[in-house]
Amino acid sequence: MGIAVLLKQVPDTTAKISVSGGRVDESAVSKWSMSPYDEYALESALQLKESGGGDLVAITCGPARAAKMLTDAAAVGADSLLHILVEDLNALDSTQVQTILAAAVAHSGSDIVFCGKQAADTNAGSTGPGVAHLMDASCVTMVSEVASDGSSLTAMRASPNGNERVAVSAPCVFAFDKGINELRRPNVRGIMMAKKKVAEVLGPADLGVDVSASSVSIVSHTPPPQKPPGQKFEGADSVAAVVGKLRDEANVI
Amino acid sequence: MAYEALDFYDIDSLLTDEERMVRDMVRDWVDEKIIPNIEKACRDGVFPDEWRVDLGEMGILGAPLEGYGCPGLSYIAYGLICQELERGDSGVRSFASVQGSLAMYPIWDFGSEEQKNHYLPKMTTGEWIGCFGLTEPDYGSNPGDMITRAEDKGDHYLLNGAKMWITNGTIADLAVVWAKLDGVIRGFIVEKDDPGFTAPEMTGKHSLKASVTSELVFQDCKIPKDRMLPHVKGLKGPFSCLNNARYGISWGAVGAAQSCFSSAREYSLSRIQFDHPIASFQLVQNKLAWMLREITKAQLLAYHLGKKKDEGTWIAEQISLAKMNNVDIALEIARMARDIHGANGILDEYPVMRHMANLESVKTYEGTHDIHNLILGRHITGIQAFTRES
Amino acid sequence: MDVTVIAETSGDGLHPVTAQLVGAAASIGGTPTVLCAGGTGAAEAASISGVAKVISVVGDCFGTFDGAAWAEALNSVTGGDVIIAAASPSGREIAATMAAIRGIPIVQDATDLAPGISVTRPIYSGKAIETSTITTPCAITLRANAFDAAGKGGSAEVSTVNQSADVAVAVREAIAKASERLDVAEADIIISGGRGMGGPANFSHLNEIADMIGAAVGASRAAVDTWEEIPHGMQVGQTGKTVTPSLYIAVGISGAIQHLAGMRTSKYIVAINKDPDAPIFSVADYGIVATWEAALPALKEELGKL
Repeated sequence: MGIAVLLKQVPDTTAKISVSGGRVDESAVSKWSMSPYDEYALESALQLKESGGGDLVAITCGPARAAKMLTDAAAVGADSLLHILVEDLNALDSTQVQTILAAAVAHSGSDIVFCGKQAADTNAGSTGPGVAHLMDASCVTMVSEVASDGSSLTAMRASPNGNERVAVSAPCVFAFDKGINELRRPNVRGIMMAKKKVAEVLGPADLGVDVSASSVSIVSHTPPPQKPPGQKFEGADSVAAVVGKLRDEANVI
Repeated sequence: MAYEALDFYDIDSLLTDEERMVRDMVRDWVDEKIIPNIEKACRDGVFPDEWRVDLGEMGILGAPLEGYGCPGLSYIAYGLICQELERGDSGVRSFASVQGSLAMYPIWDFGSEEQKNHYLPKMTTGEWIGCFGLTEPDYGSNPGDMITRAEDKGDHYLLNGAKMWITNGTIADLAVVWAKLDGVIRGFIVEKDDPGFTAPEMTGKHSLKASVTSELVFQDCKIPKDRMLPHVKGLKGPFSCLNNARYGISWGAVGAAQSCFSSAREYSLSRIQFDHPIASFQLVQNKLAWMLREITKAQLLAYHLGKKKDEGTWIAEQISLAKMNNVDIALEIARMARDIHGANGILDEYPVMRHMANLESVKTYEGTHDIHNLILGRHITGIQAFTRES
Repeated sequence: MDVTVIAETSGDGLHPVTAQLVGAAASIGGTPTVLCAGGTGAAEAASISGVAKVISVVGDCFGTFDGAAWAEALNSVTGGDVIIAAASPSGREIAATMAAIRGIPIVQDATDLAPGISVTRPIYSGKAIETSTITTPCAITLRANAFDAAGKGGSAEVSTVNQSADVAVAVREAIAKASERLDVAEADIIISGGRGMGGPANFSHLNEIADMIGAAVGASRAAVDTWEEIPHGMQVGQTGKTVTPSLYIAVGISGAIQHLAGMRTSKYIVAINKDPDAPIFSVADYGIVATWEAALPALKEELGKL
């Protein structure tokens, strides 16, 4: 089996995000991590490789600092690493990112792709389905588990009434929601072996992808609107008003 | 909130990627397995066996030792492991220190090839637990006058005596025991089923409650001839082990201090009195700034010592300085942190008083604070002041 | 500007967000054509004010969900400069696939649109807001309840088109949701009870509300220590779990520092407590001074209306 896992490095979900000069200040981010849903995807991919054999390549499209995330993937068992170097992901639109990733998957020769359902920075969710289309592959989203039954691959995905087990064959893309297994811890042996796994580093041009004209341009980043000061209400009659505010003011329900 | 360790002078930037990954692996494990469970383990007075298994699986036992399946990590990495374990609890770090520096190390450095091949691979996986028998009920700071003795009986050795304050003793598969053979201190490997050997647990501790502390009792304990460590005689043996453990402790103390600082800082920002967080009061800021100062100094001491260990340019007195200083300030920081937490600080909701109680032991074991002071005094003056010469 | 709106469904009918999609399309000067996958909700869609036409797309592939097949089928049925869908799991997948088929960019989870097209959306889980411009043709998904819904009273023409596509995802087995509730550590909405709830049996009210809004149920240490029926796994606080949901509702919880340590970084906090001086009110965005006996039934009723 040729398995590829698409990984994105994002600010750790506990890191503070600050805005300066109308842009999020990436240099002020204290900690960068593998996007959480990607971790579930990676764990499931490792288990699939362990049960069925084959090679697992960890792929990222991002700046130089993302190399560390690939090393972490190597430390838990990725066989090879592919880094498509793009210094500023914000300058690319979804079509460009998906084209790069699909080309990277093709370059690696993989036909089974694992990824997170959405990255923790954009919270978008376009990459899985978009890459699947470009690969002419089937796509299953909201996945929590993947297994092989010899001839085809089965996945557990969310459905309106709970979960359903679906079957697809390669080439295919699995976009992970919270998986049934957390990403395994590395151990010292894995960490030492990871040192020997050197990532192949390519630019978009090496894959034949033109990234000159993006269709999306960022106008500004701003901090979230200040929450209004806490409001206190008397009596159960105020519940209706509060629920309305939760829906319209806070937008949390 | 994910744990953020104070690193004011950015020691992180001095680490290799491998050292950072090892540190993060242990840090995550402590967050996942120790932090949620340590208070209960302390209340119950147990060291859960699961932790031994996890430590073995992570591959960090006997961290700096090379060969025989051992990790072969740098001393900096070993230090970081101790720092992160002790951020969790000194008892957890004690388990790893004893296993790696006090039980595996003497076999690695002073044992025969057969002994190394027999014991080390299973100790590094955590399958066999080791302990270190030096201290006796009446011989602590003065181990040289120990009375536990071994007699050569031709086809075996006979051990008689008792050791006390032995971490891991009751759960250990083997003990590296220092005893006098014809008046000369030698190392002997005693296995748990050897006849005449028992290891009762010591109870009633107010400190290191999640660690097993034991007596080792030898009553005509018979051990085969091949159990003596052939390549060392005298106090040099146990002292070499203690140097390694003390080095790890100098980092471990930093971890405990970081934990207390982190808790004190968060608490002072949340606790409102007189309509303001107590972090806004000058006396509280003074305390937090002192903690930051001492932690930063301790980190730099430990880091540079680690470099010297890795380069082989260290001397024992340098280790004494780091152990003594770092544990001393860590204990002060724990007390100060408890003070900042007010009454809440006495509850096991917060880690500070547990660290405080633990550090009382850490200040005394592996060479008391005062003894290390005198080691430095002797180094400075050339005159030993441990004892009156008779 | 022709806008293709992908109708969002809920069960056999239209999800209320569809009217918001139509409203948003109109706000950027678009003429919305609503596509109904499998024909679901077509009649209702036609009654939304401002809809130009409704296309009910029926075909074999709409029997079960296959995002790629649905996208392919829907895509062949209409052109349009802009595709708008809900930022729901299925909406995101269909819109992203349609965008890939057409080779057009997509921006997801928008909370505001303006002609241009200017798109505003939260990033980094809401820790910052991004405004960008996107060229047309493009696809955009919209966050629920961020846009005003178009009103009723429309009477658009509904046409039915037969269009299917090859299904690559075969459903083998359906597994009904186990009645396990979400864990507090993972939920985006949490409703917690404290000693003020009076007894563990009263947590059933919290459970009911949690089920209504897909929330987890938590508890303060006082509740966990006092009542063995409330397990430690529900505890939020210094020695329990630290949570950062979008919404935390604290019922009958005084707000001792240990509890606050576990939930103070929640995005929005609602407190229900009969004691107006309870410390929890100092961190609450919306505080309701009332007994839980009075407030919870009202809460149930209001949430039921949403």
